[in-house]
Amino acid sequence: MSTYSYFPGCSLEKMALSYHQSAMQTTNAVGIELKEIDDWNCCGATTYFHVDELLATTLVARNLAIAEEAGHDFVAPCSACFKNAYFASKYLKEDEDLANHINYALEQDNLKFSGSIEVKHLMEVFVDDVGVEEIQERTTHPLKGLRVAPYYGCQIVRPKKDHEDVENPQFFEELITAIGADAINYAYRLRCCGGSLIITSREAALTLVRNLLQSAVDIEADVIATACPLCQTNLEVYQMQVNQEFGTDFSIPIMYFTQLMGLAMGLPKKKLGIGTEFISTDKILTYAKEAA
Amino acid sequence: MDTKKKLLMIDDDPDFVEPIMAILENAGYEVDAKYNPDEGFEALKSGSYDLLLLDVLMGRGAEGIMIARKIGDDEKLRETPILIITGMREQIAFLFPGQPVHPSFVPTDELIEKPVEPDLLLEKVSTLIKMAEERKAQSELN
Amino acid sequence: MATRPTFSEEVSNLMHASHGNPLKTCIQCGTCSGTCPVAEFMDHTPRRLIGLINANQKEDVLESNTYWYCASCFHCTVRCPSEIDIAGLMYSLKRYSIWKHQYPEDAIGPVFSETFVKSILRSGRSYEPVLAPSYIFSYGVREFLNEAATATNLMLKGRIPVIPPRLKRLENFKKMADRIIPMGGAK
Repeated sequence: MSTYSYFPGCSLEKMALSYHQSAMQTTNAVGIELKEIDDWNCCGATTYFHVDELLATTLVARNLAIAEEAGHDFVAPCSACFKNAYFASKYLKEDEDLANHINYALEQDNLKFSGSIEVKHLMEVFVDDVGVEEIQERTTHPLKGLRVAPYYGCQIVRPKKDHEDVENPQFFEELITAIGADAINYAYRLRCCGGSLIITSREAALTLVRNLLQSAVDIEADVIATACPLCQTNLEVYQMQVNQEFGTDFSIPIMYFTQLMGLAMGLPKKKLGIGTEFISTDKILTYAKEAA
Repeated sequence: MDTKKKLLMIDDDPDFVEPIMAILENAGYEVDAKYNPDEGFEALKSGSYDLLLLDVLMGRGAEGIMIARKIGDDEKLRETPILIITGMREQIAFLFPGQPVHPSFVPTDELIEKPVEPDLLLEKVSTLIKMAEERKAQSELN
Repeated sequence: MATRPTFSEEVSNLMHASHGNPLKTCIQCGTCSGTCPVAEFMDHTPRRLIGLINANQKEDVLESNTYWYCASCFHCTVRCPSEIDIAGLMYSLKRYSIWKHQYPEDAIGPVFSETFVKSILRSGRSYEPVLAPSYIFSYGVREFLNEAATATNLMLKGRIPVIPPRLKRLENFKKMADRIIPMGGAK
């Protein structure tokens, strides 16, 4: 059993609790232990960096240092937390001056980050470390005929980290295919959901959400799969507001990829946090009924 | 003054640097200005300055604090007195609910807040330089 | 004796540690503007904004809503043929405008950022209900009611926490932050 230092992030405590629950269940099912980072703090999201990048990096470094002390690679299910942790770790490894300064601050919490661990998004753990073949093998209830629109969003692939294909990634599709569903191709799979603009520039964000939903609906997706709590919230919770604003009648479920994986592995829906969403997922559940 | 004292100013705001330089130059100092923390620190290492005038919020964030800490870690640079001149309490007022800015980062520094009174500035500059010279003389005696 | 930096150089100084090429390498190709999902809402497209910076049009740049409309999707950054970190530039401008209080008057972004940062430094975690009041009053009545309905639904579904989360080692956390930005009182 391999173990990771797990950074849930602020959203997963409550807003995206179902992501946390389904992440725990599915990792456990493939022999991975997620050990929550002790006393972790907020990663700064995108907003903190507006004020002071050095302090923002320090906040992230504290979590990295605690993870490192536990001796495991760092994994985040939220794309923004992942991006912040990935780049903070990279910059601290490359820039000795920066590392010295930030470690000087970390001393106050008896911590030090020396850069000996890797930072991963939860989906990378499944795709790269576990492997899609293994996930296919663990699939007892393939979601045959379910049309899934894999939604990458932004920060899981951008900015470019090292090897990944930023213009045409395929790993999400591979994962969806491994659990027996149809990964459908649609124009907006890499476009932005609006992120925190939903708060600061509402009209712009709702427009982006509308375009995204339209793009998935046009190609007859049954569900949009996400890998980020902010994307999930913008696409699902604000779907009603989009309908009111633009006179549309969207009603497409938005689920975490871990929830779909869990269903395909025959895990009980309650344990996957299914039932707290605004848009009914009943139709999706019917695809998971027949065992392979 | 026989030989002109040399000062270095690291501050990202040209609108602030210009008048301060004029005041100091009128008082007989020679002043170099650098507008970003990296160039500023390089200049400090390569030149020999009698005093550093240091801003706080620059570049990525509180880079001035980072420079002050680096100077404190360096045995040679540590001898240079630092006068921190910052407007940070106003710049990011939401973080300072009525609190003063924490003043001391290296043994040889002092802090004044923007906007700066010319007389106060000149007084602090000359006092800090004098104190540094006395310290130096003292350590040569020992 | 240094010569006074231009606005373009000031912006470069802000980005001195950023991980892309300097703005002056911009070839004005417009890939960023074509890529940006919110370009249609911006006073100036990203391409035009970079052009204005390089032409030292400081007021025009800072008064525009462009950098506050950036959602940090980094699509422009990965596509820029000159490898300029354009999203990073938008962060730099946000920082600069907050420090100098020189942002558009109706921008919600700065207030939101400040509230967010305060909330984190107080408790170590972000907490949605604290963030709400910072922006909700700028909405029209209809948006306000929509937002309130959404919040109520979230509450009913158990998706908003009732008690703000807090760190165990909060004192250490605050002392740590004080070493980066000296907010007073720390030793």
